[in-house]
Amino acid sequence: MTEILIKNGFVVDPRNKINCEKMDIAIKDNKIVQKVNEKQAHIIDASGLTVMAGGVDIHSHIAGAEVNTGRIIRPEDHYKDPVRKTSITRAGTGYSIPSTFVTGYRYAEMGYTSVFNGSIAPMKAKHAHEELNDIPLLDKGTYILTGDWWFVLENLAKNDIDECARLVSWLIYSTKGYSIKVVNPGGLESWGFGRNVHSIDDPVPNFCVTPREIMRGLIKVNKKLNMPHTIHLHTNNLGVPGNYQTTLDTMKALEDLSTDGKPVAHITHVQFACFKGENWRKFKSGAEDIAKYMNAHTHITLDMGQVTFSDTTTMTADGPFEFSLYELGGHLKWVNSDVETESSGGIIPFHYKRNSPVNALQWSIGLELALLIKDPWKIFMTTDHPNGGPFYDYPKVLAWLYSKKAREATLKKCHKSARKKSLLPSIDRELTLYEIAIMTRAGTAQALGLPNKGHLGVGADADVAVFNINPETLDIAQKFRTARKAFASAVYTIKDGIIVAKDGQIVNSQVPGRTIWVDAQTKDPCRIDDDMKRKFKEYWTIEYENYPVTDHYVKVSDKLTIKASV
Amino acid sequence: MITLTPLRTFNVPIQTPCITPENFAGKTLTDIKKLPATEGNRNITLGDLFKIEQDPAETPNITLNGDLSKVKRVGQAMKSGEIVINGNIGMHTGEKMAGGKIIINGNAGGWTGSEMKKGTIEIHGDVGDYLASPYRGNDLGMKGGLITVDGNVGTDVGCYLKGGIIKITGSAGQFLGYHMTDGAIYVEKNCDVRTGACMTGGKIVVGGTLEILPSFTIDSIKPKVKVDNTTNVSGPFYVFLGDLSERGTGKIFANKAANPALAFYEKYL
Amino acid sequence: MNKTINNVVCPICGCLCDDLEVTVENNEIIKMKNGCAVCEAKMVHGYKSDERILKPLIRKDGKLVPVSMDEAIKKAAQILTDAKYPLLFGWSSTVSEAQRIGVELAEELGSALDNCCSVCHGPSVMATQEIGIPAATLGQIRHRADLIVYWACNPWASHPRHVERYTAFTDGRFEGSEWKNYMQRLRADSGRKKMEMASKRIARVEPPIKPQVCFTGPPPQMLERKSGRKVIVVDVRKTMTAEAADYFLQIEPNRDYEVIEALRCLVLDQELDVDKVGGIPIDTLRDVADAMMSCGFGVIYFGLGMTQSLGRFRNIEIAIALARDLNRKTKFVISPMRGHFNVTGANNVFAWQTGYPFAIDFSQGYPQFNPGENTAVDLLRRGDNDATLIISADPGAHFPSVIMQNMMKHPLITINPDMNAISRLGDVVFPAQWCGIEYSGTAYRMDTVPLTLKKVVEAPPGILTDEELLTRILKEVRAIKVKRGEPVGQGEVKLAHPDKVKAPQACKAPAKPKRAKKGKGAA
Repeated sequence: MTEILIKNGFVVDPRNKINCEKMDIAIKDNKIVQKVNEKQAHIIDASGLTVMAGGVDIHSHIAGAEVNTGRIIRPEDHYKDPVRKTSITRAGTGYSIPSTFVTGYRYAEMGYTSVFNGSIAPMKAKHAHEELNDIPLLDKGTYILTGDWWFVLENLAKNDIDECARLVSWLIYSTKGYSIKVVNPGGLESWGFGRNVHSIDDPVPNFCVTPREIMRGLIKVNKKLNMPHTIHLHTNNLGVPGNYQTTLDTMKALEDLSTDGKPVAHITHVQFACFKGENWRKFKSGAEDIAKYMNAHTHITLDMGQVTFSDTTTMTADGPFEFSLYELGGHLKWVNSDVETESSGGIIPFHYKRNSPVNALQWSIGLELALLIKDPWKIFMTTDHPNGGPFYDYPKVLAWLYSKKAREATLKKCHKSARKKSLLPSIDRELTLYEIAIMTRAGTAQALGLPNKGHLGVGADADVAVFNINPETLDIAQKFRTARKAFASAVYTIKDGIIVAKDGQIVNSQVPGRTIWVDAQTKDPCRIDDDMKRKFKEYWTIEYENYPVTDHYVKVSDKLTIKASV
Repeated sequence: MITLTPLRTFNVPIQTPCITPENFAGKTLTDIKKLPATEGNRNITLGDLFKIEQDPAETPNITLNGDLSKVKRVGQAMKSGEIVINGNIGMHTGEKMAGGKIIINGNAGGWTGSEMKKGTIEIHGDVGDYLASPYRGNDLGMKGGLITVDGNVGTDVGCYLKGGIIKITGSAGQFLGYHMTDGAIYVEKNCDVRTGACMTGGKIVVGGTLEILPSFTIDSIKPKVKVDNTTNVSGPFYVFLGDLSERGTGKIFANKAANPALAFYEKYL
Repeated sequence: MNKTINNVVCPICGCLCDDLEVTVENNEIIKMKNGCAVCEAKMVHGYKSDERILKPLIRKDGKLVPVSMDEAIKKAAQILTDAKYPLLFGWSSTVSEAQRIGVELAEELGSALDNCCSVCHGPSVMATQEIGIPAATLGQIRHRADLIVYWACNPWASHPRHVERYTAFTDGRFEGSEWKNYMQRLRADSGRKKMEMASKRIARVEPPIKPQVCFTGPPPQMLERKSGRKVIVVDVRKTMTAEAADYFLQIEPNRDYEVIEALRCLVLDQELDVDKVGGIPIDTLRDVADAMMSCGFGVIYFGLGMTQSLGRFRNIEIAIALARDLNRKTKFVISPMRGHFNVTGANNVFAWQTGYPFAIDFSQGYPQFNPGENTAVDLLRRGDNDATLIISADPGAHFPSVIMQNMMKHPLITINPDMNAISRLGDVVFPAQWCGIEYSGTAYRMDTVPLTLKKVVEAPPGILTDEELLTRILKEVRAIKVKRGEPVGQGEVKLAHPDKVKAPQACKAPAKPKRAKKGKGAA
């Protein structure tokens, strides 16, 4: 039994509408409580410090076959960032794709306590869970690539939403996933024969269905299953100049599906989907159009996918996109990894350079989006780790968001395209601590449907981050470097009521973190009859019985049971 | 000048990246003895491994004597000064070197001069594989400087070479100048197979026999070739262009007299 | 009374066929359905070997004598902690749960850690690190591939069900099985042979000796005309797989690199100055290149003939470059034919825990990787190690003698189910359970698809699983280090008030380049 009292901190808790108020936070075991016995409790003096809920990352590639292949192919990346073993932490390596333990440690050092894994192919889900078990100090969940699963394509072609819902519920349950992930709908299946879809109405070869039908169908499925998160969408034509139109088309196509004003889809790493211009030469920012649309609608949430100018590794299930990226030239390595019946994937090491016109503009697009969209509950901060940059560049991204001075400092070093072809230099908005807390914790937790995360109200999980920022004395917009340093190493990170990091150093690595997964129970469960098993045998090269992830693969299980309305 | 002599025979690998002129500069003998090194998995000091003496001579800055074939990473990232090694030395000598000079009077291990930028390495003996080649997965080949080898070299010499000169008096193993983009390699004797595979620029001059990959095409016959400002080699030489599979324009100069097997290429001229 | 267990995963080769039906009677496998001959040899007969080690053994006065498990573990831990640079090698025939503990043990010891891939498909991994790889899972091949190239491998013998389950002889969604065509051809062949024999008997004349040709099957132009799946085999000798192929290309040994280079040039429409490469006329190669370019979905599977012949990982690199180039014309993938059932898993587990797939060195306190410097063969050839632990592998039967001589100069610990060559040489010999037969765990198929191996029978009493055994050795190693006053890993850390403990400062990594500063974990 542990009791902790965080005294006199400036609490920033947007969910409970608390903005930099001086108050105490009491923790008993792994929950936040009204009060604790001050004599018994371990007291943390947080006077002059900012107290927030533990960070919740909505999209980060930290585990799975794709990530690990990325690790395998980049020895030169690890070579420059070795991490020594200590008596508390395990050894490992960085840099752009850190080893599992290092991933956990570095997130915790920044005050993050929950991370959701970008995407995994269902067939390789066991692998992802084995890795998640080796990522300490974090609560984890993982999105399941569903958009090009043959059963989904076939049922959506028949427009049989109920059957599709039952199958998806079985899929999420048996892969211990958290949400439906749709990547380049239809494109992954087309990539099986080296093709792609180029608009949301391009038919998918060999399946009578279009990307529009896939997205709409899966949103309906998601609603029928009452899933906590919306569908997690990676749009068509990602990374192609002119794709902002596809993104707008996609958002318009989903408009009518939101009946109660709540979001129905989360479009991830939207920066890569906001390119204007016919080709790379005429490349421009499409952020303004997207922001305008977003300011007028509520059915979509976004995350940034910010580029941070580093030598990183791009990885996505969008195989055709990675190939076209490779064809642009200048890359040493290209990995493609198709997964039968489900998905594809690609990896390319990528160095975002300040003096590249395209990369510089990509950098400004991400920031433009975050600053032009007025409501921080609609767009969240990510780098789509490691696609835009590794996650430990988050403090840098935050600095660009809360300080125009920081943006100017980087703009000076960037290619002139960032200044000329985007609105960024004219934007004066500087985010407050309150807005930052929304974009990194409260908003993400709400979008993910996690009632106990992202806030410090009574009953919330005891995941707390304390930063060395005194809102009364420190003007973060002016002294952005001081604040950046503070966000890079939390004074305290508390996970499940245990202090795991102090002053940016791990002090306890024994908190394993839970794996959060969803069991959406349909009224009559998915019937796996002989016909289905026969189909399974035809479609996959592994048997139906060997497909699901058993409990053995989830070290600390946190099952979210929900009743589906189908 | 600091002289280091092993106190005993080394059985397990020793890593001493601390042996560089910059690291020793301005340090007393006692300080130098305390510099960290590893023997296998044990963290120890330089003084535990070597007898360290100082004498007033200015150059070379550091002299190593004895059998050092298990000692790795000597002169790593050194920028100036001179190291003389009297004996065999282990791997990664002069890795990431940015200036200065290393003279090895003995054989050197693999990855000597790996990712080197500037400076000179003289090896009066044989060298292992991956001379002047980058670390795994990188294309950061040697950028500049000079490496001379009196003996033979192993495989994969000068991979991703981007500049600088490598001169080898003896023979070379396969994949000489793999993926090189610039710079020059001169081998006085023979080359094993696959010389210049995937090269897109630079030149390789071979005085002895070699085999030409099918992806190279003959360009001309030249009477002599200039390797660098001080070295002109007279031939005549067959000049091959390649590697066609990479649409490259690297040049291989193959000595005509030593390679009668390549005579059939003359019909394409 | 017997019971039948369905969907058992076969723990032999990289195919990990998961449709075996195993019949067990009195804790013994008596029958097995669906498996290949290799599988049957191990699952039904091999695992019951008379050579089974049933008790831990320690060498005393030159003889192996049985001891208690505790004594053997103590002795092993003592050897490993006393050594300045131990080597832990093997791992490819055990489950990934055990491999995870193995990495932790290596880290605690500061040892070298390597898996069998360094002597089989390590070069494939190294090539991937240089150039990447366009790969696909096996089902993708089943559904879509209409051109299958087996290069320098013989799945008919090494992965017997590969052709039948995943490639040419299987029915996919978009491509059918070639089994019937193959049978027809087989019948026609045997008919032709009979006719020849008969005519020989009747006419009493010797049929003219056919000149040795470098290719068999129909003329290469036919390849384009043939409908359905096409199989091309490239090898240095005519194997069983080659017999089943539509087209066989017999190249000179050690000429893979040159042949692939020529193919790459042809794919890029370059003119070549030579007429023959690796013994194959350029015109023939042009036809093969055309077949590769005109297919809808092609795949190259390559084997040890490529990874362990002259050129090694550069052979693979160039083959991957060929597959990559072909992707500009059509869809093409390439995959290694991984051997041991969980060698892919070893690569994966090592990679997610350390960042590197094999040839790892923990002597500096953090992982370092460099094949050519840190693989088991490199280390042992130079005699760098002063103790060795071998788990679920038999280098005694496969490693060159100079390496074994160097290994035998120092203490040797082995963990293997039966008395194989390496166990006979051990100083501490642990018994082990057969994973996939006597205990369950995770293994990774050659295309990195994870599967759960099943437990079908009980192991003999007193034998620990690899995971348990390694955990106990690790615990003992930590105990010894604590006694010596050395810092140990997290397993022993108990923090009452974690807040009051200051984080230990790790020593500075040598020659850490500038960028590493961003990574704070290195302290």
